[in-house]
Amino acid sequence: MLDWYSIDLELGGRTVLRQVDFRLRSGERVGILGPSGAGKSSLLRLAAGILKAQRGNQQSSFRHAVLAFQEPRLLPWCRVAENLEIPLRAAGRDPATARCVAAEWLERVGLSEYARSWPNQLSGGMAQRVALARALAVEPDLLLLDEPFSALDPALRKTLIDICRDWLEQSAAALLCVSHHPGELVGLVERFVLLNAGGLQTFDAADRAPEVLAEALHQTLMTLETSLP
Amino acid sequence: MSMNDIRPTSWRWALLGAVLIVLGWQLLALNLGPLLMATPLQTLKAMWQLPFEADFRVHAGASLLRIGLGVGLGCLLGFCLGLLAGLDARLRGLLESLRWLLMATPPVVVVVLAMLWFGLGSAMVVFISVLMLAPGMYVNTVKGMLMVDRGLLEMVRVYRFGPWQKLRYLYVPALAAPLGAALLIATCSGVRLVVMAEVLGAESGAGFALANARSTFDSAGLYAWTC
Repeated sequence: MLDWYSIDLELGGRTVLRQVDFRLRSGERVGILGPSGAGKSSLLRLAAGILKAQRGNQQSSFRHAVLAFQEPRLLPWCRVAENLEIPLRAAGRDPATARCVAAEWLERVGLSEYARSWPNQLSGGMAQRVALARALAVEPDLLLLDEPFSALDPALRKTLIDICRDWLEQSAAALLCVSHHPGELVGLVERFVLLNAGGLQTFDAADRAPEVLAEALHQTLMTLETSLP
Repeated sequence: MSMNDIRPTSWRWALLGAVLIVLGWQLLALNLGPLLMATPLQTLKAMWQLPFEADFRVHAGASLLRIGLGVGLGCLLGFCLGLLAGLDARLRGLLESLRWLLMATPPVVVVVLAMLWFGLGSAMVVFISVLMLAPGMYVNTVKGMLMVDRGLLEMVRVYRFGPWQKLRYLYVPALAAPLGAALLIATCSGVRLVVMAEVLGAESGAGFALANARSTFDSAGLYAWTC
């Protein structure tokens, strides 16, 4: 469980989160929406332990939170397969198991023939697939996704969302997912939170039809984006 | 100029550069005379005969050992301190004054001091090399550490890389380019420092042999040992 009480987060002199209360139960899946610059990525970094809140009570009982970044962030001097094997070994897998698991995940994301390639030989979308495979392969109990599907074409986006959904259902991991497209999170998350002006507003996907909710949130986001200076 | 226009160093032009140096040397030698400057051919003859001299192996061996020790220990010390200072701003601040002091002090001053502390011999020569070479390696290592991709730093933190994994898969590859350049500079500087220290205060080595050749006006021998 993630339990935040009266969290204040400031970055570069700017208040990102102000007196925020947020709770995420084990196995729960939440979508994070908000206009550009609202602090969505910072919120994920807070959950990943990369950032620390200046004030408030922050507790987490998750064993391993893994953040899949907006950019792939692959090690450019390691081959594609090694970019999966090394984090697996860091997570405690022996080298042989790490190699097998890495190969399985590359197969699942359709990149097994690129196992020996270098990251700079991949397109942006392919690199993002590798990054996503890396995040899922280490089997976190809290998965943090920072717009991981944004660089992908619609067909591939749907494929990877399906892979994420299947994995989440099998692993029962919790999910915090940032997206600019509420529609793509329909069926993936149980509730949405809207981050704006340092505050969080929750929308439960059980309250109304997910598609209707997603459209309403999309309209809200558009309004917020156009009102930005 | 685009990235596609950057080509590897041309060996043909490198060869031309070397030929121009030899030509310039020949012209100068003809102007100055054999006492002040041996010609390239005279130097080549002396170099050919050098390995057959009785004490060549002693002097060459002594210099090579001192260069190896001086460059090796100096680079290792600079790298280790640079790695730690790159991670810790307090250590970086603590070493800043010492770094400036060592880099600003003329090597010949350090030679004189080292002769007072260690007397003549290998210890003095190696000490000078380590003291003069470590700061350069340190600076390159620190700069390299501070320029490591912040995104990759976050990634290794998220995936809980251990210290050894961070060193092997992040820091060493990221530092390869600046360290490679620093090592090349340190090796060349190490040769110059060792020879200088031997000229001023050793009883063996290439520098000692240079000093002997100078005192007997053997300019061909002087240039042979230099080459």
